[in-house]
Amino acid sequence: MNGWAGKILRVDLTERKFENIPTSDYVPTYIGGRGVASRIYWEEVPPDAGAFDPDNRLIFATGPLQGTMAPTSGRFMVVGKAAQTAPVEAYCRSGCGGHWAPELKWAGFDAVVVYGQASKPVYIWIQDGKTEIRDASKLWGLDPFTTQEMLWKVHGKEARVMTIGKAGETKSRLGIIITDSGDASGQGGYGGVMGSKNLKAIVVRGTGSIRVARPKELMEVAGHIRSLFSRPSKPGSPLEPNEPGFKYNIWGGQGRGQLTGAPGELWNLCSDPNSGYERLPDACYACPIGCRTRVRGPDITSGVAQCTQSNMYLESIMKDPEKGYSKLTWEAGRMADYYGINAYDIHAINPWLTACYDEGALSNKDTGLPLDKIGEREFISELLRKIAYREGFGDLLAEGCQRAATKLGGKPEKLMWALYPRGGKFGGYREHWLYYGGFPDGYAISPLALMWVLDNRDAMVSHNFMSQLWGAATSLGYPPNFAEAEKLIPVIKPTMKYAYGSEKAAEFFTPDGKGLKWDWAPRVAKRFFERTILKDSYIVCDVAFPFLYNPNSGDHVGDSSLESKLFTAVTGVEMSEEKSYEAGDMLCTLERAIQAREGRTSDDDVLRDICFTNKDAAGRQYHRDDLERAKAEYYKLRGWDQTGTPTLSRLKELKLSDVAEGLQRKGIVTPDQRT
Amino acid sequence: MIRVDRIEEVFYEKFKGLILTQKGILDMANEKDRSLDRRDSQEQVVRKTPCISRRQFLKAGVAGFAFLAGSSGVRDMLEIVAFAEGEQLALAKGVVLVDKKLCSGCRTCEAVCSTYNSSGRSSSALARVILEKDYLKGDYEANTCFQCVEPLCLQACPVGAIKIDKKSGTNARIVDEEECIGAKDCIGACGSVFTPPRPRFDVERGVAIKCHLCFGDPQCVKFCPYGALQFKWSDDGVKTGYPIIKEG
Repeated sequence: MNGWAGKILRVDLTERKFENIPTSDYVPTYIGGRGVASRIYWEEVPPDAGAFDPDNRLIFATGPLQGTMAPTSGRFMVVGKAAQTAPVEAYCRSGCGGHWAPELKWAGFDAVVVYGQASKPVYIWIQDGKTEIRDASKLWGLDPFTTQEMLWKVHGKEARVMTIGKAGETKSRLGIIITDSGDASGQGGYGGVMGSKNLKAIVVRGTGSIRVARPKELMEVAGHIRSLFSRPSKPGSPLEPNEPGFKYNIWGGQGRGQLTGAPGELWNLCSDPNSGYERLPDACYACPIGCRTRVRGPDITSGVAQCTQSNMYLESIMKDPEKGYSKLTWEAGRMADYYGINAYDIHAINPWLTACYDEGALSNKDTGLPLDKIGEREFISELLRKIAYREGFGDLLAEGCQRAATKLGGKPEKLMWALYPRGGKFGGYREHWLYYGGFPDGYAISPLALMWVLDNRDAMVSHNFMSQLWGAATSLGYPPNFAEAEKLIPVIKPTMKYAYGSEKAAEFFTPDGKGLKWDWAPRVAKRFFERTILKDSYIVCDVAFPFLYNPNSGDHVGDSSLESKLFTAVTGVEMSEEKSYEAGDMLCTLERAIQAREGRTSDDDVLRDICFTNKDAAGRQYHRDDLERAKAEYYKLRGWDQTGTPTLSRLKELKLSDVAEGLQRKGIVTPDQRT
Repeated sequence: MIRVDRIEEVFYEKFKGLILTQKGILDMANEKDRSLDRRDSQEQVVRKTPCISRRQFLKAGVAGFAFLAGSSGVRDMLEIVAFAEGEQLALAKGVVLVDKKLCSGCRTCEAVCSTYNSSGRSSSALARVILEKDYLKGDYEANTCFQCVEPLCLQACPVGAIKIDKKSGTNARIVDEEECIGAKDCIGACGSVFTPPRPRFDVERGVAIKCHLCFGDPQCVKFCPYGALQFKWSDDGVKTGYPIIKEG
């Protein structure tokens, strides 16, 4: 088989048994990654199983592109019943970069499905098709980095390790699964799920190879992508010191990795060649971008951090603006990795605790945390340690910010609503619309609101729709997060036309500028979800794909056919862009069927009240009726009924008859259901 | 009896243009010696002579001669690439070198190398450039083949399967996979001075593989996103690798 390794490994931790099933049972129909994993989830995870139940599946799925030279293909998806989704644990997914995914493919497996529960701590060792469950008693309690070093001593430095830290072991809903120095599957609380199975790590080593159907074609597409992503340097920019031979790219490569590009103490230290500090770019496997920054220095914790970790403790900048982005700001993210805590939820916990403290809703005494010292080292180290060990107030916070605030009720709960936009039973994910759509500094954008209510986690994680707004802002020379939305619209008209079919898709506001236009939102959201699920199934990078905004060209029109071209070159299975959207449509409906089985209806596809009462920076606001109409239109485009449940006829059209029967058996759909 | 035109074809297929002959050796050796002497005096580099065993030389020579017996047409395209004991080896004209400061550890070099050179079999294990990455400390080390002045791999091969790529004009030290018997001696010999050893073993096909500079257009250099890999070329030959550079 070209592209796929050919086998899926099933691991029963209770019985300590392995089973191989052929990947061809699932592909090419479900493509790989999130697509294949959602299908396995549908077949295997009982709707009433809890996230921490042995029956829950922890699915590590790679796609057809992993292990090849396809750009940004170092990724895999973790799928299972998520502990973080609140208040009801439900289907979710989380991506992870690094170098683990290609190693798994070379070891001969496309995916690992873990279920059951080991009686004592274990880890799974996979080497070139051979599999073993080994004792991890001595690793239990260790941080992810020491764990990896111990495992490398046993299995060699080339082995790649996915492991959990203390937070995962204590079944925190903020537990992450981490590899190498800072690549992690963060959202979803899958680290806690892994901890509940007594599984400390999955170690893989592969020396096999993945066959590419059309190597020449793959090299051409990859070369084309590389040229699209590269750009000339900006002479004179302090962020881009003149380095002979260095090639810049449109995301990373501001001399030394893109992120932690914030001015301040750390930047100054790294810019001084005699300081002993340095910033290096660090890339996932086969990635031409290298967006992560590796920072090293004599008195800081060295390592790699992506945007989420490196900007986790912005409070430290607010507390000490003179220092700006300081050593502490950096170290806070490293601490979260050390305990294996989801930094993205800390992005909510910090501002939430700040607000609670400022409003007098929580005090040092209530929490046992030094809330008067938010922004200082003492606070963040106490907070993270208490969460990881479930100590005192940390025990509550280990359940995630939304659950903790809901349990406290009253003012703390109300203050949480501003950070967690999706209401209903399937929330639990902090806003990710930086800052378009956010209030009060950002701008209400109708498709964003629709994407938010419909996704099964934070919607804007994929950057794909947002890349046009950020890209336009950057092209015009505005700071991306605060540019005035109206000014961007002329720039994104051609790109929106290319991406969604009409320039009208870019008209977010009524001509008088006072209201929002919603007519294109459902069509934009439909294509957005298809592209997102395809990207997670082939698997390519969240940040880079789909390529909808080209900063180098005159009209900025991107190229959304790159992913399907990569897929075709690698697998030899013809996939036009149009055909890929049909597959994406099917996968979206399959995922919705899974969620319908877990109780999701249109009542859960809602924003919190606060989103309808607050006004954005231009005085506009979302209206509930508009959003409801757009939702109904979206359901119709997908062939779902008015409650957001896929209809029997649509499921059958999509060759998902068994899914249709499953929903029918549960009484979720009925044959005479109206669309 | 094989017909002559058929011999040409077989010959070409078998050696892919990397051929050893008896006749031209003396001419070429003289020419090369002169040019090497000139460079040596300019650069003041003391060179030792590589030791190619008598047996190896004879085997190659005889094989080439036998094939050439009735075929003067092929002879014109032959060039001399190996020398008798005590003679000198043509320097490689190119080498891929690494600017460690610019590396992001993405391993695109490995990915593209195996895709290009192993007919689309993608794997780190099949890459002729080996990226060693300390994932926690952040040291990235792309290890490329130096195309040594005195290639220990070539000297160690018991069947003379490592040759000089004259056809593409790079003089890269390459494995003739048709002749390779999978003894892995090249890997051991390289490993005695370089870590990790640059030739690798293709388990599936049972042959050694090594960097051959992609016929003069190294794909790893072309695809390196940050410009860390650089292709150095000199028509006079590059002096890198053993015995000038040794690791560990």
